[in-house]
Amino acid sequence: MSRLVEIQQQFMQYLLSDAADTQHGQIQSIMKANVSEQAGISANDRLQIYSNAYRIRLKETIETDHQLLGVYLGDHLFDKMAADYTRQYPSSNKSLRQFCDDLPNFLQQDDFFKQHPIIADLARFERRLLNAFDAADSPRTSFSDLQAISPEFWPNCCLRFHPSVQIFTCNSNAVEAWQALKVDATPPEPDYQSQRAWLLWRGESRLTEFASLTAAQHALLLGFIQGNNFADQCEQMLEWHNEQSAPLMVLQTLQAWFQQGLIRAVVSN
Amino acid sequence: MPDTRIKEDFLGFGLGLRTDHFEHILQHQPDIDWFEVLSENYLVAGGKPRYYLEAIAEQYPVVMHGVSMSIGSTDPLDMDYLKALKTLSNDIQPKWISDHICWTSIHGINSHDLLPLPYTEETVNHVAERVRIVQDFLGRRMLLENVSSYLSYQDSTMDEWDFLSQVAESADCLILLDINNIYVSARNHHFNPLDYLKKIDPRRVQQFHLAGHSDFGDYVIDTHDHDVPPSVWTLYQAALERFGPVSTMIERDANIPEFPALYQELLEAKHIAELTLPENAELARSSFGTRSLDGLNKQISTHYVSQQPVRAKQ
Repeated sequence: MSRLVEIQQQFMQYLLSDAADTQHGQIQSIMKANVSEQAGISANDRLQIYSNAYRIRLKETIETDHQLLGVYLGDHLFDKMAADYTRQYPSSNKSLRQFCDDLPNFLQQDDFFKQHPIIADLARFERRLLNAFDAADSPRTSFSDLQAISPEFWPNCCLRFHPSVQIFTCNSNAVEAWQALKVDATPPEPDYQSQRAWLLWRGESRLTEFASLTAAQHALLLGFIQGNNFADQCEQMLEWHNEQSAPLMVLQTLQAWFQQGLIRAVVSN
Repeated sequence: MPDTRIKEDFLGFGLGLRTDHFEHILQHQPDIDWFEVLSENYLVAGGKPRYYLEAIAEQYPVVMHGVSMSIGSTDPLDMDYLKALKTLSNDIQPKWISDHICWTSIHGINSHDLLPLPYTEETVNHVAERVRIVQDFLGRRMLLENVSSYLSYQDSTMDEWDFLSQVAESADCLILLDINNIYVSARNHHFNPLDYLKKIDPRRVQQFHLAGHSDFGDYVIDTHDHDVPPSVWTLYQAALERFGPVSTMIERDANIPEFPALYQELLEAKHIAELTLPENAELARSSFGTRSLDGLNKQISTHYVSQQPVRAKQ
């Protein structure tokens, strides 16, 4: 093994290790042996500058990406989450943009944090907001494009959605808590009584938006995203509407989606 | 006398493009000569960052500056990253592309820090070979920037400036000289920053970075969260004396002030350049500040500029 490989491995091991690591002292000694003693500050202090910077940078990334989760947790729990997550999920991405991608999974699996599932839901919701924020751009189509298609072809029409469109589902009132925190209000007590669904997207003005979905709207959107056509979806809506009102409900919902800029294309087979 | 320069055009005076300033730039169209963009911030599919970048790149020359190439790592080069960089480069047509002479990741784990390399023959050969591969892939010369460092390796057999020079020479790449990083490392390792400038080949210096730092007395940390301090302005003057007019920009990554404050700070850089290199034809091509200089130059201090050359030219 070349010295360059060895030094880089030992340096990275040093950065990843912290006082909670039983081998930290040994790892530190090995790395310290690579470093020259110079005037001013000790080799240990010089290494510590890198170790501190590593943790501070990653913690700041979590703070930036998950601002309201941080408010919800408070300083003490946020520090615990940041330290434990950084220890268990070192970054494997070129950009810090992806560093927290595993945070919801961590919060869902961690023995301490999983006791409060709303925390993982909050993290997952904030990741979805970020995904909507920088998803790919694409042109959007309008309701008049659907109207231009002869009605006899409508039953076979499918929709293609803007890349920013996402569905977020959870069994807690995480989004309600997020909304309260956003306006500096006290979040409601955690509530796990019912499943909730939310639509997230980035509008024409490039603002990230979200709206709650009823069970029928959720099923409608999910079906269209999965490639079902207009006829399939009208049929599915019979679970909530009668034969007369189902097509009308679908049409009205579609009209709103076009206005919101959710639809990229109408595909007529 | 033949023009022996390797470097490309002098772009003038620029700023790092930061999200806080997107709206201001598009609304006011300040007469900044160029912007430097952080490549990794725009390796996303779309949305606001890409929208503003493309709008600004249509109006201003831009250069791309990366932090994740990890050119000194012993991991294989990340070709997916290089492909993404090339795609972004095709989209925004930067004047040049730079990254740092350091390593950031090993075994696929990214420190997201600019970690120092041991200055050895082995490292020179390793880094130069990788720079050649990257340059072949991108189809252009790249710029390597010197980093601030806080430790030296027992293994090092040469000074940092010799290491940087040898890599640049061997790989035939260009240099982004960060004046603040030279100052920070000089303080941390107790060398004379003028020795650093003296050993760098002026033909390869394509760009200067200016920035602020945090001074803790026994050591200095490169934080980019303060104004450019007098010590860095003085070193900038010495760099101008040695290298002539070089495209200069100010980096600010934290505690970012309003755009007009950075504009004002950049005027200081131009003013120092004009005083250091009077009647320089290339410098005269910079249009930065010409719209507002009359009104603003009363506020520009000149006390950072030495009446005498900071060092004798080589």
